[in-house]
Amino acid sequence: MGAKKEIYDFFAKYVYDKTGILYKETDYYRLDSRLKTIQSTYDLKDENNLLNFTRKPFKPSEEEFILNLFTNNETFFMRDLKPFKALAKSLLPEVKKLHPNDNEISIWSCASSTGQEIYSIYMSIDSFQKEISLNNVKILATDLSTEALAKARNGIYSSLDVQRGLPAPFLVKYFNQIKGEKDIISWEVNASLKKWPTFSSFNLLTDYYPSSKYHIIFCRNVLIYQDQENKKKVLENIYKALKPGGFLVFGAGESMIGMNLPFKQVEFDKAFFYQKV
Amino acid sequence: MKILIVDDSKPILTMVSNMIEELEHEAIVAENGSAAYDAIEKNPNIDLILLDWNMPVMTGLEFLEKNQSESIFTIPVFMMTTENSPEKIQKALSTGAVDYIMKPFTADILENKIELLEDLLGV
Repeated sequence: MGAKKEIYDFFAKYVYDKTGILYKETDYYRLDSRLKTIQSTYDLKDENNLLNFTRKPFKPSEEEFILNLFTNNETFFMRDLKPFKALAKSLLPEVKKLHPNDNEISIWSCASSTGQEIYSIYMSIDSFQKEISLNNVKILATDLSTEALAKARNGIYSSLDVQRGLPAPFLVKYFNQIKGEKDIISWEVNASLKKWPTFSSFNLLTDYYPSSKYHIIFCRNVLIYQDQENKKKVLENIYKALKPGGFLVFGAGESMIGMNLPFKQVEFDKAFFYQKV
Repeated sequence: MKILIVDDSKPILTMVSNMIEELEHEAIVAENGSAAYDAIEKNPNIDLILLDWNMPVMTGLEFLEKNQSESIFTIPVFMMTTENSPEKIQKALSTGAVDYIMKPFTADILENKIELLEDLLGV
């Protein structure tokens, strides 16, 4: 168990230091499959080889591979339709009202993972908002994982992926079916949506946040993997990056309790958002 | 929720019933479209129907078409089938299905689709 414990401790600390994502000792079993992937990728036959691998500094390519592996990319399209519908129907008009001179509504999906969130935003605006054109909505999609960003940019999903949180009427309207090898089916986001977003790599804990740039920031189910201190740090930066009166979109189960930040909770169409005061 | 599963495959009926019971809903089953109409008559409080496409006696599509022309029930229907072409999905939606589950699927997909039902009916 000695070597194993040392390996677990090393990767838990490494991932925490680089990303803020917490793996507590009780969660160490969740590292197992990822450690096996590292072993097979770098041809490390046993635990001792793996332990030696951790003892020298990682090359940039190794670091990128490991961070891609340990960041959580489980994601749904809408999962919950309410915030997306509310965004399109009420939040965007509210932003227009607050910033009548801005030609463009600027949205940042700060941990966009494999792209489901940003395409859900586009689908919702296209379906539920007739006054504002996608042309006037600019979305920046960032993630720590370059692998996730590549998938987001491709906009190609498996049949299981597209069933996670995406109602079928949206599937047939906004995706094309692709038949691959052995007739395996996947689904590609229509070019009419894929052309809009901008993608970039971003580390929420260490990268520089612009000031007063975004009308709306999506940060759903991202900070649940962070401890209080990092959560607060990210939220302070998000606060800074929002324009006056800008909105933060949080996950349904997430709260600002104990954060002591100048956000107020507002409700539109049964969905809750945090507004910069 | 009381959920009617309509499928001619016994293993599928068992598997989906188990998933539904795990999600703390009640499952009842029928082996084809015609048997499903009997089940609806006997159980007036069904909240959702999960409907296979290819079945003997009465297919899923025939089941939907009958209801479309005769307005027998207003229960929401999710297709649940191996048919996965966009044309088939569109056909089912335009014939009255509110959502569509492509087999194979996982329990979290079924759970999320059920959770989305209320929102979906408002779409």
